[in-house]
Amino acid sequence: MIKLKMNGVTVSVDEGSTILEAAQFMGFPIPTLCHMEGLSPYGACRLCVVEIGEGAKSKLVSSCTYRAEEGLTVRTSSARVVRARKMILELMVASCPQSKVIQDLASAYQVRQQRFRQEHETCILCGLCARMCSEQMMAHAIGFQGRGDHRALGTPFDMKSEKCRLCGGCMYVCPACQLRCTYTQPEQAICGGCANLSPPCLEKVQFDDMMCSMSPCVACEIKKD
Amino acid sequence: MAIERMHSIRDFKTLQQRLTAESDPHIPVIVIPAGTCGQASGANDLIRIAKRDILSRGLMEKVRLRVTGCHGYCQMEPSVLVKPRGTFYPRVNVSQMSEIVEAVAKGKVLDHLLFRDPETGGRIEKQSDIPFFKRQTRAILSQNERVDPIRISNYIESGGYGALIKTLEQADPVWAIEEVKNSGLRGRGGAGFPTGLKWELLSKQNGTRGKFLVCNADEGDPGAYMDRSVLEGNPHSVIEGMLIGAFATGATKGIFYVRNEYPLAIKHLLIALRQALELGLLGQNILGTGLSFDIELVKGAGAFVCGEETALIRSIEGKVGEPRQRPPFPVQKGIEGKPTAINNVETWANIPIVLRIGGEEFAKIGTRKNSGTKIFSLVGKVKNTGLVEVPMGVTINTIVHTVGSGPSGKARIKAVQTGGPSGGCIPSSMFDLTIDYDSLVAAGSIMGSGGMIVMDDNTCMVDLAKYFMRFLKDESCGKCFSCRKGTQRMYEILEDISNGKGTNSHLELLEELAQVVKDTSMCGLGQSAPNPVLSTLRYFRNEYKRHIHDKRCDAFVCKGVVGAPCASACPVGTEAWRYIAHIQRGEYEQAYNVIREANPFPSVCARVCNHPCEVRCKAGTQGGEAIAIRALKRFITDRSDPLSFRPVRTTDDFAATQRIAIVGSGPAGLAAAHYLSLKGYKSSIFESDASPGGMLYSAIPAYRLPRKTIEKEIESILDENITVKCGTTLGSDITIDSLFDEGYTAVFLAFGAHKSLRLRLRGEDLPGVYPSIQYLKAFNQRGENLAKGRVGIVGGGNSAVDAARVAVRQPNVKGVTLYYRRTREEMPAFEEEIEAAIQEGVHLETLVAPTGILEEDGMLSGIEFINNQLGDFDESGRRRPVPIPGTQHIVPLDTLIVAISEGSDTDCVSVAGVNRVDVDERTGTIRIDPETLCTNRPGVFAGGDVVTGPNTVIDAVAAGKKAAVMIDRYLRGQPLKQPSELRLPRHYVEPTNGHALPRTQRVDVPRVGMDTRKHQFMEVELTLSEQDAKLEAARCLRCDLEFTEPLKQEPAVEEQKEQFA
Repeated sequence: MIKLKMNGVTVSVDEGSTILEAAQFMGFPIPTLCHMEGLSPYGACRLCVVEIGEGAKSKLVSSCTYRAEEGLTVRTSSARVVRARKMILELMVASCPQSKVIQDLASAYQVRQQRFRQEHETCILCGLCARMCSEQMMAHAIGFQGRGDHRALGTPFDMKSEKCRLCGGCMYVCPACQLRCTYTQPEQAICGGCANLSPPCLEKVQFDDMMCSMSPCVACEIKKD
Repeated sequence: MAIERMHSIRDFKTLQQRLTAESDPHIPVIVIPAGTCGQASGANDLIRIAKRDILSRGLMEKVRLRVTGCHGYCQMEPSVLVKPRGTFYPRVNVSQMSEIVEAVAKGKVLDHLLFRDPETGGRIEKQSDIPFFKRQTRAILSQNERVDPIRISNYIESGGYGALIKTLEQADPVWAIEEVKNSGLRGRGGAGFPTGLKWELLSKQNGTRGKFLVCNADEGDPGAYMDRSVLEGNPHSVIEGMLIGAFATGATKGIFYVRNEYPLAIKHLLIALRQALELGLLGQNILGTGLSFDIELVKGAGAFVCGEETALIRSIEGKVGEPRQRPPFPVQKGIEGKPTAINNVETWANIPIVLRIGGEEFAKIGTRKNSGTKIFSLVGKVKNTGLVEVPMGVTINTIVHTVGSGPSGKARIKAVQTGGPSGGCIPSSMFDLTIDYDSLVAAGSIMGSGGMIVMDDNTCMVDLAKYFMRFLKDESCGKCFSCRKGTQRMYEILEDISNGKGTNSHLELLEELAQVVKDTSMCGLGQSAPNPVLSTLRYFRNEYKRHIHDKRCDAFVCKGVVGAPCASACPVGTEAWRYIAHIQRGEYEQAYNVIREANPFPSVCARVCNHPCEVRCKAGTQGGEAIAIRALKRFITDRSDPLSFRPVRTTDDFAATQRIAIVGSGPAGLAAAHYLSLKGYKSSIFESDASPGGMLYSAIPAYRLPRKTIEKEIESILDENITVKCGTTLGSDITIDSLFDEGYTAVFLAFGAHKSLRLRLRGEDLPGVYPSIQYLKAFNQRGENLAKGRVGIVGGGNSAVDAARVAVRQPNVKGVTLYYRRTREEMPAFEEEIEAAIQEGVHLETLVAPTGILEEDGMLSGIEFINNQLGDFDESGRRRPVPIPGTQHIVPLDTLIVAISEGSDTDCVSVAGVNRVDVDERTGTIRIDPETLCTNRPGVFAGGDVVTGPNTVIDAVAAGKKAAVMIDRYLRGQPLKQPSELRLPRHYVEPTNGHALPRTQRVDVPRVGMDTRKHQFMEVELTLSEQDAKLEAARCLRCDLEFTEPLKQEPAVEEQKEQFA
């Protein structure tokens, strides 16, 4: 067993467990988007950052990938952590406003506006679908391609995958509720299931009806009276 | 001479002895550096010619040839070094190579091809005496001269693999690790982790499944190439370092991870690896000691992030290069899960040195926590670019100013950027900073792999941050959301700012975002990605603010705020591109209107303007010659009548009731009166001299600016709204209080700087000694000539040169000499004026300072000077003149004109009392808010030389123009500070299709011949002919078209189809 101090409380966890697992065991809430039990930890969304260490040496690490160490001090919601999460959520809403999961998280963290050029992307590249596909379905049909701002998810050479069994697992795990293949023609896409999706707030007309509290909502542009 | 595989340490020693015995140290060797840089500048041709000459002339026994890697002095390549003498020939061309071969064979030195010291002008023979090499400690780079990279025998002969043998003989891995630990060597890749410690960690890992050593040669920083140079020039030193590492840590396999963009390094490495394997220095049971180690070469696939160690490991494994969480560190779990130690090329190259001289000895180089030497690639705006190896702990100043010899151009060095895209900028005010891992981090930058980019005033820091952010947003692996989106968003914000669309909240957001990206990213790339933004924000926040508030880019780089540089550079915003376009079309009237709208003194400025437009002209800044804009303006103004222009006038009841007092009738005062009049205001100008014109009349001599021209221009400005009262002096005839009492509602002070500053030497009041302004006024206003006999002028500004050129035209003057305390390059006077003065017979003596004035019979008889030499760099980026003791000498003189600078007579405004106007005591100028021209007293504005000290005509006109705007706002009770607007080219002037190809050279401005100039005051510069003017105008690059050209209508798809049908 490894002993560490989390938010002032001493915690004992099995060797090899991550900080996130320790926090979940203790009931400290840590938001995640790219983490899922049963899939390998990845550390892409950076929402689960926590502050470790003391004084000048303290730093933020992603709790889903960082293994618990003996004597480690962890703060799961210090001011620094919250500030970082808010900025990340603001970046996410600015890029991917249609996702209800992201909208809800943003409003929970009191993100009231986003200050960047609005984009309407469909994916935050958390990689859950790719890991689902390769680790659970053993298909390896989809994966990442490109780097930097050209990074995207897709099949090799953007061709229809022969390995895909149209299981829909990728859909099931997606936090952005959007298609995870970059294919523009749904009928030729990996599974085609994405063709029926729509942003969560499209049917609403009034601000108060909506689940999110963004004003104005960047997706539907419905303003609060 | 074949070399056989070696089976024992004794075999190696025998070989080494044999190689040493076979070489004759007395035979001269011609060394030609031919790394990638050398080959690019023509070293291959030199090699070919040297080989041919040696063979054809049968010099094989007399001369040897050695082709090596880069020596570091890239600025002077292709170069040739002759050993063992050390003779250095820079920038050798093909025809000189034969000469050199012949001279070397005869044991001669070719003086005329040697390096010329830019400071003294003398020739320097030996490489070690050249300033660039003198201050370096070249532990690693000096080996490049001794070794042909594709000959292992060369390396062994020069002591190579000696450190490995020493280690193998010790037969104790712990000893080797201790030596490295004692040396204090820190990783040269950037982070500076102690190498010995890393080795120790690796040696303690369980090695049953094998351990890896990796040489990280994925050098991707823009502007850094020292690793390439080491790999190309001396691959065996890196292999030797890795072998020692393998012995010390028990590693079984080594990997070179080399970026694919380094083909020559890969080639040399592969040759070296094969040679080492054939000789038994790699492979199983090396030299019979039981050590087994093999090295493989892996080529990188071109991603910057693969320099990060966890991404590098994945790349070696054949996966996409993406960093992962540390811990576990590579030393615990690396390639294929096996323990792995990754070191940079330079670290490995340091290992043989550490083992050869011993850890303790190595630790003595550099500073306590930063031992050894470090190679920097010094690039950018310095005279000497190249690879520089210095001990840790030297200052940036030493590298930039001593080794690099200071700025390459006239602009001041502003900052250095260290550490590549992950690094930061260090401003020139901090150049005393010692270079080591810790101090650089404290300054907001990093050591990185050692790139050092020097930047001068022509670099825009916003643009620089944008450049690096663009690089990083492309090169981020994209795994971490914060790094991928963060770099993209930072780039967008920087783009907005550099396009003049930024706001204050942009700046806050940028800073906030940068902090979060730094905090939350997983690997070093993301954590350091905001450094370029944060460090420029920290040291150059003002430049960001200039872009945001003033919509200005002082380096004239950011296209989105600069527009056409000529118009942007002009203090009054004259759209030079526009009138040049009209000239090209032959529309001279429109051209004149464009000039006159912006500037009420076009004919004056066409003659005496310092033409900042030409300085910034893109045709000039991009390697060619600037358009002769001033000469074109002269062409237009000479064929136009100032009275023909009818400016747009507005008026209203309010303006008609206001009266404004303007003190001084120079360009600032007249411009203010003119633009106030256009708005309907009435103004009175108070002038202490007998006629209006200020410095235009009294300081600028007629041969530069004919009196008629001034008179005509002033006449066109004066109208019924403007009253001029000459012979009225502020202080004696009027005061600011009396003006307000008389009913003036605002006052503009623009009475110039008419007081020459004094030398502060005894005897300055003797007859024969004149302040320059007094001298010039006496001549220009009254035709009196004060100079006679031998005339000396102290100073280097325009007024000194003007005085000299007036004096040299006088009949009873025997000779005129200008004395200046720095060198000619540093003289503030316009270059063409200095040139003209020298042509007319003025002598120029530089690096002298007056120390005493000699008297004889109550008259000036001479002056005592002391010689100066150039010392350290001062705040202005120029080198300080320092007197050389004991060099005093006396120069007999009949007339001395003191022209060191001018101040204002501001006593009149600062008399004690409640309503005094604030004056800067040190400079004697009036203090104002530069944004609004307001003095501390409400309703009193000031501008021109009285605020800035002696300055140009165009700046004075700009101040007057601005004063009119500010006074208007003040009187109407509007806020004085209003947000600046972007001023980009708007009017489209269609370019003509040139029938003849425009010439590429700048037109020569015609001048009156020397014979006619002597003793006469007719104008020296003449007008261009119409044909010349049109041709010159055709050279314009038309920077405006990017903004003004109407979008071409693309033919519709249907039409296109029809065309093809």
